Amino acid sequence: MAKLYVSFENGNPEQVIEFDPFLAPFHHDGEPGSILDILLGHGVELEHACGGNCACTTCHVIVTQGMTHLTENEEEEDDMLDKAPGLVSTSRLGCQAVMAEGEVKIRIPRHTINQQV
Amino acid sequence: MSSSPTFTATIEKIIERTSDTRSFFLRLANGQKLSFLPGQFLSFLLPVGGETLTRAYTIASLPGEETCFEICLNQVDGGSGSSYLFSRKESDVLCFTGPWGNFVLDQPTDAEYIFIADRVGVVPFRPMIARLLTVSGHHTTARLLHAAPQVGDLLYADEWQRWKRQCTHFSFRPLVVGCEPEEYSMEKVLLPYVEQHFVKEARQYSRRFYICGIGRSVLLLRDLLRGAGYERQAVKYEKW
Repeated sequence: MAKLYVSFENGNPEQVIEFDPFLAPFHHDGEPGSILDILLGHGVELEHACGGNCACTTCHVIVTQGMTHLTENEEEEDDMLDKAPGLVSTSRLGCQAVMAEGEVKIRIPRHTINQQV
Repeated sequence: MSSSPTFTATIEKIIERTSDTRSFFLRLANGQKLSFLPGQFLSFLLPVGGETLTRAYTIASLPGEETCFEICLNQVDGGSGSSYLFSRKESDVLCFTGPWGNFVLDQPTDAEYIFIADRVGVVPFRPMIARLLTVSGHHTTARLLHAAPQVGDLLYADEWQRWKRQCTHFSFRPLVVGCEPEEYSMEKVLLPYVEQHFVKEARQYSRRFYICGIGRSVLLLRDLLRGAGYERQAVKYEKW
């Protein structure tokens, strides 16, 4: 079993999701086994305006622990992350970062809106 | 479910663009206006199978078309979202959030703009090119390459041709394979063309590329251009 710890900058209570990575996908949006897939499949909301297709940055999350348990960024994700508000070195797109084992802690930024006019 | 403000719009008109592509003209409730940047999309909340699907569809409208706006999409085999929309009729109501997205036209410069579209991927370029031709006057050159299996699959072809006649600094190059849709691959047509004209022949590194299409071939085009020395920020793309 793997564990995903989720904290929210907006003050929502922290959540801990324990799951079997081999059961992915848990939902229909994002890469199977991605942070977005895990969250949605366990009833935790994460914005994903493009449907989890790496076409926006609304599923931006900040990894605070366990980065090595996530798949590495591809160029497409990096290109998209460039536009994310509040970008840090451990920023990931929830729809692209796949978690296959271990324990990972993430923080969901307060502002996920990108270039909404 | 999205936590962003949700809008409601009525389908005012549906137009069959090609055998598998339709435009939906939507009017917001209460006379509201939609303010968007050329290239942005709307995130539709579709009630399918007892749950809410989030599906993104690009705004095809020209800048300024804010009260009744257009989305244009193709029906995807097995695609729940497009199947739901293709079963809608005029007067039906849709809910969405947005507009969203960073695949938008930068502040126009004197650079040459190359828009590379694969089938329905030409949709975001309609408002982008309109904006470019409007605000930049004759200082900017824009080229549109639009690939499709058949001539009938080219979207907005009459409009591109009209713009080409009206604007000497805009050119439209349809790239029609002449094959059945299931045999079509943008790699067969767009990759060789782009390689010949923008990699092997004169490389003008001031060019700005916008690529939009379906599948990983978009990434191959990106890699081809960046690998040829075009700056990362000069090669923008959206993969559907």
